[in-house]
Amino acid sequence: MSKPTVAIFDFACCEGCQLQIVNLEEELLDLISVVQPVEWREAMSDKADGDFDIAIVEGSITRPEDEDRVREIRKRCKILIALGACATFGGVNKLKNKFTMDDVRKCVYGDAADMPHLSTAPTKSVCEVVQVDYRVEGCPIDAGEFTYIVRCLAMGTDPVIPSYPVCVECKLRENVCRFEYGELCLGPVTRAGCNACCPSAGAWCFGCRGFVDDPNVNAAKDVLEKYGLTIEDLNSRMELFNYGQEPAENVKNG
Amino acid sequence: MSITKLNETALQSWVDRLIGQHQVYGVKAKGDRFAFGPLDDAAELRLDYDVTILPPKKYFLPQSQELLKFSRRGAYQPVGEPAPFVLFGVHPYDVVAIAQMDEVFSKDNHDRHYMQRREKAVIVACDVQKASPNVFAACMGTATVQEGFDVLLTRIGDDYLADARTPKGEALLQRIEGGADPDPASLARREQLWQDLNRFLMRHELKCAPAKLPGVLDQQEEHPIWKKRAERCYSCGSCNLVCPTCYCFDVQDEVDWDLENGRRVRRWDGCMLAEFALVAGGHNFRATRAARYRHRYYRKGKYLWDRMGQIACVGCGRCVTACTADIANPVEVFNTLLEDR
Amino acid sequence: MAQNLTKSGDIYVPQIATLVRKERLTELETFFEIQLESNQPLGHRPGQFVMVSLPGLGEAPISVSSRPVGNTFELVVRRIGRLTTAMHRMEVGDKLGIRGPFGTDFPVNTFRGQDVLFICGGIGLVPVRGAILEVLANRAAYGHVAILYGTRGPSERLFVDDLARWKAREDVTFLETVDRGSDAWDGNVGVITTLIPKIEIAPERTAVVVCGPPIMYKFVLMELYQQNVPKENIYVSLERRMKCGVGKCGHCQINGLYTCLDGPVFRYADVSDVREAI
Repeated sequence: MSKPTVAIFDFACCEGCQLQIVNLEEELLDLISVVQPVEWREAMSDKADGDFDIAIVEGSITRPEDEDRVREIRKRCKILIALGACATFGGVNKLKNKFTMDDVRKCVYGDAADMPHLSTAPTKSVCEVVQVDYRVEGCPIDAGEFTYIVRCLAMGTDPVIPSYPVCVECKLRENVCRFEYGELCLGPVTRAGCNACCPSAGAWCFGCRGFVDDPNVNAAKDVLEKYGLTIEDLNSRMELFNYGQEPAENVKNG
Repeated sequence: MSITKLNETALQSWVDRLIGQHQVYGVKAKGDRFAFGPLDDAAELRLDYDVTILPPKKYFLPQSQELLKFSRRGAYQPVGEPAPFVLFGVHPYDVVAIAQMDEVFSKDNHDRHYMQRREKAVIVACDVQKASPNVFAACMGTATVQEGFDVLLTRIGDDYLADARTPKGEALLQRIEGGADPDPASLARREQLWQDLNRFLMRHELKCAPAKLPGVLDQQEEHPIWKKRAERCYSCGSCNLVCPTCYCFDVQDEVDWDLENGRRVRRWDGCMLAEFALVAGGHNFRATRAARYRHRYYRKGKYLWDRMGQIACVGCGRCVTACTADIANPVEVFNTLLEDR
Repeated sequence: MAQNLTKSGDIYVPQIATLVRKERLTELETFFEIQLESNQPLGHRPGQFVMVSLPGLGEAPISVSSRPVGNTFELVVRRIGRLTTAMHRMEVGDKLGIRGPFGTDFPVNTFRGQDVLFICGGIGLVPVRGAILEVLANRAAYGHVAILYGTRGPSERLFVDDLARWKAREDVTFLETVDRGSDAWDGNVGVITTLIPKIEIAPERTAVVVCGPPIMYKFVLMELYQQNVPKENIYVSLERRMKCGVGKCGHCQINGLYTCLDGPVFRYADVSDVREAI
């Protein structure tokens, strides 16, 4: 069986997720033993001609012309993987949607804001523009989870992605709960899969993998009171990665 | 079997001697909390701990445990035998929990992955020196133990009594240097300490005997407490994962980069997680938080009692501490049901 | 119970088996005939299940659909998850892992001398088929035998050859229905409960076997209650998530019952008060 061909593309983002792949170092050789990269701007100079089996798309869609480009990529691949928070649900880039596009352009480009090539639009995730087959969550992605997903696809099967919150992995690592330090941690409402890397390193969970399917934000409100924190604390923390996601809105309106 | 009295220095040199000869796991500080971990030096050992974040079940049923190796062409290779180890400083309530889990994994179908670890372990229990913020072992009859371990250590003033109860424990005691025969006064103080622990290791008070719990839970499936408390449940499984009597697991296959070889691994799972009872095809047999929440307390207080005659709660209080939403205290749940009967 | 699998001394290590025949039954269901590498019979009883293992994909509980005769056994698998999708891609000669047989069976031998009524919905026919074949193979030992089968549509009917045989037999009452018909379908249309009043049931001397999707049980059992069939005479086969099959992983618990050890076949009298069961 020939190896599936893979093309990696980036949209509005910091390219940190692609960097996680480059940072696989010697494991990169393992990676290319199961897939054949045909386009990958960050790591090779070749461009793909025609179609490929798998497209890996990083970044958010922030300009009208980007929508056309990602739709074109969708047409050229059999499987499309959204890579990282910007691609899967918009991530940090969605904060832009708090403002009018005029304000955004003026803030970034000042006097040049009206130049025609500086068009901008409210941020969309790749998932909001085209059909996405697999999502690799996180800001940045977890390299281990990414390689697991690649191996599953190379075997022709679906990966099993956790539906439970970060607390599960945090408990398995026997961390002291961040709430016990009086910190506001998003672990209880955030999808696991990162092996609770931030709480394990002594920080709270920032929620970069998005919410679990059914986050209990009402419970979060009660917990806040217990620790002397406020809804505003929670909202501002959730907003960083999850602006415009349903549960954050609920809290605001609740 | 014998009892040896030893001072702090003799204890330290004994533990260091054991570390030199065996794999020893003991209680160490982790931030301002405690956790079982590999001991490199007796100075790391903290027998004055209150409770560990995770129970010592992780040495018998590891968080992630290989069940077999496979090749995708269709061959299965059983895993080898585990290495022997000494588990140092297990509190009585955890001793009771281990005994309960022994029954689960040895009965009906013998689970060699758990049981071999169990057989390879020497358990040095240690009477509680400091009560944790949520312990209620005294209500559950688990504040002290007289079986289920190889050696029991009890701190008496500045000294320890090391009490061997099995041949394995006796062999361990032989390695103590500078020990003495116990004096009657120390033994009397130990008796007194046990009596005190059985009365006072009780930050929460269960208002009935544990054996009454199956009756307390009987016919209470519709009680409003399940729905009310579950409204605050994150479905994060923290209460399951830190519980010394929870043993449910998931099984997943991991495949190497050659896409040919791999291993089948079991990992801790929890009945509070949303997809625990979800079958292929999409039907979830416990789809609501309330159903899952109720299941946990029935399992603790009734289902396992019906099956093996034991209450699956030893009063360690870990779930109470681990639950950020403050809904996991079994004593609150059971007392409410008791009052409303 | 676990005699086959404990040969290795490890309840989690499967036996190797070979796929010897494969046949597509419907769009979603495929039939598999399997032979253990030991060439020994599986040693199952009708209604029991096996854990099917594909290395790299894991395991899933699958009901055995054949009679306990011969050196092979049969499964019918709906393509619904990772493992079953991969099973559908298997070719004759491919290897798979088998643990089991596990669980309780339909005690057809205790039905001797009684009437027997089988009520199956959709793939609920799969675990019951072995019991039906067993009863029909010893037909003289039983009183009246009736089989009621319901599917969502004509294209979802399983074991069509069996169905035709059962329909043709004069010593079996066979009734069938589909939820939604088609142009080619000239049989009954409606849910399976509509078939129950069409047959005569002698409640006190009829053993009833019920198997189907979760939603079906409530209505069928209500209808049987109307017909005064005692709960003691009714056997149900229940589905739950399973990761081990041997009473350890906790996933298949129905209140205090373990579907893998105490089930999947339960006497209805034993589970009618178990709130999560049906």
